[in-house]
Amino acid sequence: MNIKRRLLITVMALSVFGAASGMAASADTIAIITPSHDNPFFKAEADGAQAKAKELGYDTMVLVHDDDANKQSQLIDTAVAAGVKAIILDNAGADASVAAVQKAKDAGIPSFLIDREITATGVAVSQIVSNNYQGAQLGAEEFVKLMGESGEYAELLGKESDTNAGIRSKGYHDVIDQYPDLKMVAQQTANWSQTEAYTVMESMLQANTGIKGVISGNDTMAMGAWAALEAAGRTDVIVVGFDGSNDVRDSILAGGIKATVLQPAYQQAQLAVTQADQYLKTGSTGLDEKQLMDCVLINGDNAAKLETFALSN
Amino acid sequence: MIRITFLTACVVAALSLSGCKLVKNTPDDEKAVAADASGDDARTDQRIADTFEPTLLPFVREKALEVPVLRSLLSRGLDAAGQAHGNRGAGQGAAWNFALTGTGTVVSAKLDTRARVADLDTDADGVADLTIQLGPVIRGTALRDFAPFYKFDDFRDQIEFAKLGRALNDRISGAIVLPEGDLIGRTMTFTGVVALKSADEVLVMTPISVGVTP
Repeated sequence: MNIKRRLLITVMALSVFGAASGMAASADTIAIITPSHDNPFFKAEADGAQAKAKELGYDTMVLVHDDDANKQSQLIDTAVAAGVKAIILDNAGADASVAAVQKAKDAGIPSFLIDREITATGVAVSQIVSNNYQGAQLGAEEFVKLMGESGEYAELLGKESDTNAGIRSKGYHDVIDQYPDLKMVAQQTANWSQTEAYTVMESMLQANTGIKGVISGNDTMAMGAWAALEAAGRTDVIVVGFDGSNDVRDSILAGGIKATVLQPAYQQAQLAVTQADQYLKTGSTGLDEKQLMDCVLINGDNAAKLETFALSN
Repeated sequence: MIRITFLTACVVAALSLSGCKLVKNTPDDEKAVAADASGDDARTDQRIADTFEPTLLPFVREKALEVPVLRSLLSRGLDAAGQAHGNRGAGQGAAWNFALTGTGTVVSAKLDTRARVADLDTDADGVADLTIQLGPVIRGTALRDFAPFYKFDDFRDQIEFAKLGRALNDRISGAIVLPEGDLIGRTMTFTGVVALKSADEVLVMTPISVGVTP
């Protein structure tokens, strides 16, 4: 089973590699490894990295680990065996990924991490992560303002195993808990899922008819919650999300969800490739390993400028 | 013979294990700060104790510009002004932070909120040109980000980094005392830090000191 799976992955990876390198066989290759592209956020990362790599004259090998640390480890082996020059990685777990990145380093392949941190330094060359805490504070400040600093609200939490779920919740409460007239009457996980958020929101509404606002750990859950609120005729409820997806942008422009927080996924992935290129050419990025990227508040004022996790000027 | 050696090793190992437990209960070891998230608050407290009064406050006072000086510097570009007189927060897209000091007249104030603010006219044209945060909720991380000695790489993760920002704001918030009654028309002296992402945005200050007269 395991061997079969590994072979399959290898074959898939090689075919991607083969297809990419078919154009210019002599070009160096950069591996781009992210969670599943089913979530448009990760698709935007892969697209951003790929576009920048192409611009800088690299071939690419695009792979997905589906948030499975074992699969990630196998993909790193595949990339190393294929002779890639650098790895761009949105990793499958802060602790579990350290060994995988170390393995690449031992093979002489530098890794450039995006979106999520790992719990060790000196293993990857760069760790460029969205400042989720700062972003959550921005979202919470807007939420507090929209709520008029008082009223009952509910929180939808992300998947517990994802560190960003906890970071965002902490960032929200860092701000909201400074307002004693804001009362959290329900808090539950919907595992980043739209359908799950719909049912969770339904039951929250039944138990708490006085809910005035909902703060959500990401945009897909915000979309699910908004659908449930619409179905219940409660479009007066203030909803704030996180990620800056096109779905939520459209909802904001249509007067539905009130705000979200953009993580500049596309730009972040491009930055990682630029640093990889710099490192390969000069042996150094000239920058600290751990780099934060600020998130940006999206509301009715700037939603129209948002497209695929990037804000135009 | 080999077996005896092995047994001896086991006994020694067991003894040394129990020895460890004894050591762990000494008061000295209880003071050790955990390396994981549970040690965040202790590390934050220590950083505040080590740096807030001894280093940060003097640093802000020493670097503080008069408002017209900053305006003039900004007219020649935010990055140039920042490189000469400011400090940038960690990472891409972070704001430039500048220390400011001066006096102004309170033109308007919002005090019926947890995030109180006063809008000041500092150049006597009757129009507000500086907003001062008066707490108890103070937004942003300007104080942390103005200080080059707080480096993100020295922190466990972004949560610990954020906790320092919050702790600095809380120290300020606790120290702000406003007089009774209306602030409008009164004179306010201030020293603090503003965070700017563009040269033409509103100056919003996190103060380290404010005084109101009369």
